Amino acid sequence: MAASRKSRASGPPPPAATFVLDNGADTIKAGFVTGNKTDAPRIIPNCVARDRHRKTYVGSELEKCRDFGEIAFRRPVEKGFVVSWEAQKEIWDREFFDDKAPQRCDPSETRLVLAEQPNALPALQTHCDQMVFEEFGFYSYCRGIGPAFNAYQDIQAIFHTPRTPDTPVDVPAEVILVIDSGYSHTTVTPIVQGRPLHQAIRRLDVGGRLMTNYLTRLLSVRHFDMRNETFIANEMKEAVCYVSLDFKGDLEKTWKGTRGDRRDDYLSGAGIAKDYVLPDSHTTFHGVVRDYEPGVSARARKAAVSTEDVLTLRNERFVVPELLFNPSDIGMRQPGLADLVMQSLSALPIGLWPGLLANIVVVGGNASLDNFIQRLQMELLERVPDECVVRVARPQDPAISTWLGAANFARHEHVERLAVTKQEYEEHGAGWVARKFAAGLGAET
Amino acid sequence: MNNFGVIEIASTTTKNTPGWAYVPDTGPLPAALQPTNRKRAARNQPALSLSDLSAREETRIRKDLEALDRDSHRDANITIPPRPGGSRAQNKHTPNVRKILQSQKTFANHLDDYQALLALAESNPAAAAAMNAAQAKPSTPIAATPKSASPAPTVAPAGGGSRRSAAAAKRAAAKEKQEQEKKKARQTPKQEPDPETEANNPQQQEDQPDVEMPDATAPPQPTPTPNAEEPNPQETQSSYPRESLILPAYTKPPPRPHPGDADPLLVSYIPPFPSDDELRELMTAPPLSYLEARAGWGDEQRRYPVRVFCAVCGYWGRVKCMKCGVRVCALECLEAHREECVTRYGL
Ligand SMILES: [Zn+2]
Ligand SMILES: [Zn+2]
Repeated sequence: MAASRKSRASGPPPPAATFVLDNGADTIKAGFVTGNKTDAPRIIPNCVARDRHRKTYVGSELEKCRDFGEIAFRRPVEKGFVVSWEAQKEIWDREFFDDKAPQRCDPSETRLVLAEQPNALPALQTHCDQMVFEEFGFYSYCRGIGPAFNAYQDIQAIFHTPRTPDTPVDVPAEVILVIDSGYSHTTVTPIVQGRPLHQAIRRLDVGGRLMTNYLTRLLSVRHFDMRNETFIANEMKEAVCYVSLDFKGDLEKTWKGTRGDRRDDYLSGAGIAKDYVLPDSHTTFHGVVRDYEPGVSARARKAAVSTEDVLTLRNERFVVPELLFNPSDIGMRQPGLADLVMQSLSALPIGLWPGLLANIVVVGGNASLDNFIQRLQMELLERVPDECVVRVARPQDPAISTWLGAANFARHEHVERLAVTKQEYEEHGAGWVARKFAAGLGAET
Repeated sequence: MNNFGVIEIASTTTKNTPGWAYVPDTGPLPAALQPTNRKRAARNQPALSLSDLSAREETRIRKDLEALDRDSHRDANITIPPRPGGSRAQNKHTPNVRKILQSQKTFANHLDDYQALLALAESNPAAAAAMNAAQAKPSTPIAATPKSASPAPTVAPAGGGSRRSAAAAKRAAAKEKQEQEKKKARQTPKQEPDPETEANNPQQQEDQPDVEMPDATAPPQPTPTPNAEEPNPQETQSSYPRESLILPAYTKPPPRPHPGDADPLLVSYIPPFPSDDELRELMTAPPLSYLEARAGWGDEQRRYPVRVFCAVCGYWGRVKCMKCGVRVCALECLEAHREECVTRYGL
């Protein structure tokens, strides 16, 4: 079997370097794999931004920006997929292909491993493949869905499964369920031996962007107009938002009560209220979280430090991530995350459920929200038979988990079976390439 | 103004008063989310024209969701600044690349195009196939003619997807599949490992319908005569340390015997593990389309009452503004809402 595979890969040897790219809507994760060496990925803002002084920043230039007030963004990735190649090419050129690019890559001698979101539109996939070969000219290329790359990580290490040092690491993992909660949306992908079970992949259109927009709206209704301050609202979300383990209880604790009858929990903050000091754009450029000071009225605090804009955040802290678990709270007609998992499982034979439920890995930026995995585990236990083991874990850095998995994949034998060379593209055409990627590894071991 | 005991209200009926109404805490879906029930709701409620009200609610929810889905509050029409170090030679784009770079289409436009293509595939398969092929041609001269078939969705949609168009796309691909099968039968008289053939015909897997696969289209088996080695289905289903070629068997020692092992009341139910055939089919099934993968509102969700919140402070929304349908928690927030409501809808 191995022999026949080798004979297929006749011709010139594959390039020594692989460029691994997780081209997210919010950030690009990019880095090289050479031989057994994997460099840490660079994280690059995937946007063209313009601040209120009308200065424009492309990709990593955003590091130089100090004042994020009223900053506007143009993003090449929409709904998880590259839509504007004009902007995407500009960012890639500056980051990777220009002579003075900070992460210089010579495509003609490099293999590209590119992570894409599941269930892409065929036309956008074709655009991507055409750009990779016809514009950038990569030597060879493999496009695969991001969640499935996570199977090439040491999954049992993420679960802290007890084992002896000489236990071999299963790569790819036998059976896992990957939940990828990113900027554009949240997907559930069951994976067996590295193969995504396509019929069971499900998407919830709640992601980081929607949650930031929701926080922005709440603040604009309750405090002051933040609609042009999504960058600041996003920082605030990352600093203070958490997933509630007792939504009703937390909501009670944060209600003011009626006029003339303020509730004690409201006055004390009940451990939930936090003060957030907004940047003043002169001396401070990032917000600061402070403990809520009970007894000090907002007016008194304002008088004491008149230059500060302070918001007291209460239920905003947990109603925003609540959208992942109850999207109907804002009128969306989609199931919450636990039901999303159940819908995915219901497309599969019941015999696969125990393995999948015991190996749920949550990746993507939103996985870093406090209590995310606890809440999901709690809700799943309510939905599955009592004897079912439910294990939910997140890797140490969920935002780069897909990239790390893709980097491991780039060193695995599987990449040889899937990668397409520029020469093959020219011989067989874009349709052939698209079908090869869509067919994936097949069932053969 | 006193409190009117608003916080104590947890009634299951709706009481109308001039301008506002107490509503049940965990009532049924608001009319806006259940357009089919609107007629009946309207008959039961003597309030001010309820169809106006629910139309307002509906519009508001839809607009709110659209706004939340946008990337930014303003349209960020940012032109890309020229590169300081000068860029690579610009005028050697291929025709494909030129077209892609000039495209001003949004994701929604592309999605519409795709749905239109599926609809076309239903009415005119040949035209759809031709359109798709034209799109996927490399700019460089090619040796072989690219085969044309979209990764057509062939399985049941997740939530309200286009079952009909999927079926149509399947029909469109069926012709080509027949040819494939004929060709394949010529090429591979014996069943033997032939990854080359498989790599050249990956769509044979995409085209497989979600019903049982006939042997002729089964992917070439890498291992010699796996079917002979396969345990009969009965056996597979009853043994949990499963006999599978795809998933290796559990190799660790079994847990120590327990006195309760034989007790029928203590035996836990272990669902039968899927057979290799089942697994193989799942592992080679084609991707769903974008809309098919979007999870829909299932029976499960219809069972839960939709939670309604105060539009001002975010607490439970137990009081309804009769002018616009917005919910608030109590009179204090209702007053705050009034200002906005009057600006939006007049007195
Ligand atoms: Zn309120
Ligand atoms: Zn109103």
